[in-house]
Amino acid sequence: MGETVLQMQGITKYFGSMAANHEVDFSLEKGKVHGLLGENGAGKTTLMNILFGLHKPDSGSIILDGKEVAIHSPAEAMSLGIGMVHQHFMLVPTMTVTENVMLGLRLPRYPLINPAIAKRRIEELSTQFALNVDPQALISQLSVGQQQRVEIITALYNQTRILILDEPTAVLTPDEARELFEILRVLKAHGTSVILISHKLDEIISIADDVTILRNGELVCNAKIDIHTTRKEDLSAMMVGRNIDFNFAKQATGEGRTLLSVQHLSAYNDRGVHAVNDLTFTVRKGEILAIAGVDGNGQKELCEVLTGLRKSSSGSVMLDDQDITDAGPAEIIEKQVAYVPEDRQRTGLIMNWDVSQNIVLKSFHKKPYTKGLFLSPKAMTQTAEKAITDFTIKTESSSCIVKNLSGGNQQKVILARELTENPALLIVSHPTRGLDVGAMEYVRSLLISKRNAGVAILLISADLDEVFQTADRILVMYNGRAMGVVEPTVDIQTIGHMMAGVVQGASHE
Amino acid sequence: MNSKYHQARSRLFSLIPSLISILLACLVSSIILLLSGHDPIEAFTSLAVGAFGNSYRFSETLVKAIPITVIALGTSVAFKAQLWNIGGNSQYTIGAIVAVAVSIYLDLPPVFLVVLSFLAALAAGLVFGAFLGAMKARLNVNEVITTLMFDYIIAFLLSWLVYGPMMDPEGFGFPQTALIPKAVMFTKLIANSRLHGGLFVALLLVVFLFLFWKTPQGFSITMVGQSRTVAKASGVKVSKTIIITMALSAGFAAMAGWIDALGIHGRLQDNLAGSLGSVAIVVALLGRLHPIGIAVSALFFSALIVGGNTMQRFVGVPFSLVTIIQGLVIIFVICSNMFEHIWHKKRGGVQHD
Amino acid sequence: MIDFIISLLSGTLRTSTPILLAALGQVYTQKSGILDLSVEGTMIVSCLAAFIATFFSQSLFLGMLTAVIVGFLYSSLMAFLCITVKANQVIAGTALTMLGTGLASFLYRAVFGIRELPPVIQSCQNLEFGFLGEIPFIGPILFCHNITIYLALFLVVVTWFVMNKTVFGLYTHAVGEFPRAADSKGIRVSLIRYACVMIGGMYSGLAGASMSLGFMNTYTDHMIAGRGFIAIAVVVFARWHPVKVLGTALLFGGANTLQMRMQSIGIDIPNQLLQAIPYLLTVIILLGVSKHVNFPSAFGTPYSRDET
Repeated sequence: MGETVLQMQGITKYFGSMAANHEVDFSLEKGKVHGLLGENGAGKTTLMNILFGLHKPDSGSIILDGKEVAIHSPAEAMSLGIGMVHQHFMLVPTMTVTENVMLGLRLPRYPLINPAIAKRRIEELSTQFALNVDPQALISQLSVGQQQRVEIITALYNQTRILILDEPTAVLTPDEARELFEILRVLKAHGTSVILISHKLDEIISIADDVTILRNGELVCNAKIDIHTTRKEDLSAMMVGRNIDFNFAKQATGEGRTLLSVQHLSAYNDRGVHAVNDLTFTVRKGEILAIAGVDGNGQKELCEVLTGLRKSSSGSVMLDDQDITDAGPAEIIEKQVAYVPEDRQRTGLIMNWDVSQNIVLKSFHKKPYTKGLFLSPKAMTQTAEKAITDFTIKTESSSCIVKNLSGGNQQKVILARELTENPALLIVSHPTRGLDVGAMEYVRSLLISKRNAGVAILLISADLDEVFQTADRILVMYNGRAMGVVEPTVDIQTIGHMMAGVVQGASHE
Repeated sequence: MNSKYHQARSRLFSLIPSLISILLACLVSSIILLLSGHDPIEAFTSLAVGAFGNSYRFSETLVKAIPITVIALGTSVAFKAQLWNIGGNSQYTIGAIVAVAVSIYLDLPPVFLVVLSFLAALAAGLVFGAFLGAMKARLNVNEVITTLMFDYIIAFLLSWLVYGPMMDPEGFGFPQTALIPKAVMFTKLIANSRLHGGLFVALLLVVFLFLFWKTPQGFSITMVGQSRTVAKASGVKVSKTIIITMALSAGFAAMAGWIDALGIHGRLQDNLAGSLGSVAIVVALLGRLHPIGIAVSALFFSALIVGGNTMQRFVGVPFSLVTIIQGLVIIFVICSNMFEHIWHKKRGGVQHD
Repeated sequence: MIDFIISLLSGTLRTSTPILLAALGQVYTQKSGILDLSVEGTMIVSCLAAFIATFFSQSLFLGMLTAVIVGFLYSSLMAFLCITVKANQVIAGTALTMLGTGLASFLYRAVFGIRELPPVIQSCQNLEFGFLGEIPFIGPILFCHNITIYLALFLVVVTWFVMNKTVFGLYTHAVGEFPRAADSKGIRVSLIRYACVMIGGMYSGLAGASMSLGFMNTYTDHMIAGRGFIAIAVVVFARWHPVKVLGTALLFGGANTLQMRMQSIGIDIPNQLLQAIPYLLTVIILLGVSKHVNFPSAFGTPYSRDET
């Protein structure tokens, strides 16, 4: 039987008033791969960040090899034999593999670096674990899969006994993922224990020995995985949970005409990999098309292409029969496309400015905000005050700095801005992320009412509640591709599978 | 209305860090004075008297404040967009060179020369600035280093011109050009002083910038300075804005060169700009990048400079004390930003849902 | 003709030394991600400190030591403003240069008062290398300088060694490129940056000392004349490689020496044009190079763990 190398008991961590982890228990056996499963925001990364010393838990304990420990920093975690490979690699692109590994060494004993020794050791480890890494290569020259292996080698070099992998296959091709699993099997045989954070069901089943499932910061269950008998449906049910209430009465709209038509669209992400892959869909007036999928499957890049912030590599985007492929943001805004970005504070608002200034970010050069040569602060204030009333934005006045508003109210400012100009197409990305229940309700019912009024809405969301409540049709995106378009009447397990890349759904436009 | 009161109050509050910075700078420099055996009270009194003591001194203070104000206006435009144009000297010099060249070499009625030299100097500044802006916008060239380098390059250019091709043939070999025709120069406002009509131009420019920030273009520039990402997503053409910003920034400085050329110098000399560029930076920062604040700060610093000369002559306190105060003021201003941050955090706090 | 070349090359080595020293220090600073515009101010203050120390102690060694210490301390202000206060680096550097200029001028007058003849010291003498100095051509170029030149050349090797062969150099590179990655590997970003800025300050101190103790034998207010800023440009031009820094510094010094020599033999290229060449070159090189972001990626940006 396996010995327990790690136990986390009763871990609780709050960020503000939100519980990222609540009384979570987790235990790891030696030489096993243990999957940590859950949707976005379930608390998986928080739990592991605590283990790696990046956060301090509000309560709970960590027991390593039978002894209780307190981990205050990554350096401490590493000295205890815990290593982490993050989703976004912590590698310096202008340095070689050897240099990066030396960077991550736990305790350099001498002030001088000895790349020769490091190089030898890297080659040893590379052979031993079939990692195939060239010590002399510059990180910028390596593929994503190879870079990940550099991170793994660093961990092995440091004699990591507990290796945490955060969504490792999110950036890998299927072949690279297969290679990774081979490596994990070799690691297991050598006695390294692996924690695999993932939302991908078939991977968990194929490589993990045990699995812990989190939902909304709480522990749902711990289970053993058997590659032959464990059913994806059971796992996804536990991951995703209960039945969805269909709260919102949606008027049946007549078949509105197609407003947005995306044909075979492809685009690269910042790393030069295809994030959007031959995507085709349409959005009609008066309907909400929800793009469901776990974060990182190309939704961000898709939004950027549609709003003019990123160039496509192929394919076309037609708005009302006009070609807007690769048009700039100004042009797209002119065509009455509104955008509520997922990164509210970085892309959507100027945090140091007040409400009235943020309301006119996209329209300040037009009447009534500009009369003749000058801006009209009065018009800006007027619109802002109307928005505050219409959208019940909780703020002292329109001259309150946006930074001081709560997340929900910040989102309302953005929505007010985008909706004031009566857009024809509204693109909203993760609109209720980080909002409390009240604000969530508000935003969702607002989307429905706009839909009822004939606006075409493209909703990107990883929150299945939201998707089922609001969408007329659901397109599931995985690895930049459309897995299928379904009605919201379909059952949640099907969607869950599609999101995890498991099943090819019946596609109908 | 509630918000108007709040706005006025917060504007008043934003003056406080600037005032405290000045006080602290004076405090530290007083300590330095004491340690070196001088009497701080004597020194500062002499400074004040030297700057404002009689009408001539006061006029000198105003004369000095004119170019400082105008250059600082330009500096503030760039800073608002987070573009670190620290080459006020070279841009001022270019304006002066063009202004003097036009005035000396073209044989036209004085009125034409005044207008032409103005347009030429302005154009030179705008083009130069646009060039710097394009380098930044298109090629991502660090504007700190380029503006710094051009300070030297243009200084050498000026030196070459006054020792060489533009040297006054009847000037006994002094490194200076001929004088521009008297009729072209600004009229003196006060007899027996150097105060000239350029004062009105400077005031006009202050008003111009004040109004400029109320235009859509001004709004775009400020937005770009706050966040290029948001600006881009909001449809602002960021590259174009950067180029326009740098053009304006250099344009102001060039106009300062024109004003001084037609106002006090009347010719080109070696090292024309002196330390105007760096003083302008201090003034822009102390004035919180606001045109009125800049005008007031410029007056303060030109008083320091003019008074400093008197202080050196009459009380033996070296002029370098003024430079020390300049440096200290900036340091305290930037430290105050950190404190403001902490103050706001403690007081306001963030809303919770 | 040969004599002209010998004198040119020999003079180049001498003229380049202060710039070389300051630039080598900035290799550390810039590589760690900080743009330090206070170098000029640090050099001015240390230059004076060296002179004062030597004047009163008659010891050149003490003078140099004082300069290094003063440079270390003065640059700690810059480090504090940039790293702890997280102020804008350009403004902080400009402020400290202004302050340094004023302080040095003020202090000089406070210590020496107004004299008819400026105070002088016995400056560094040229070292004797015996027969090496007699070798035709190479002898007069390489083997007849004062110690500051050889110190500078030695530090080229030292800087190269530290940057490429030590853990500190490795960490500095990471901190300047990708501070978040360095932080995640347990490296103390702030500490490394403080160290780099202050090492840069020590080099600047030495550079300042080389001016008042080696290059000249006195102190005047506008001695440094922008060499600190030139050093910054040199480092950028040389892409932060110590050996290239040497070459670039020689280039700048050479242009300077050339224009001085040219006047004496009556060549008619305006000396201002020659003097402007290094600066023009820097701009031109930057135009060609900057698009491909060769700056340490975190250049000029304060680092904070909370920020994304």
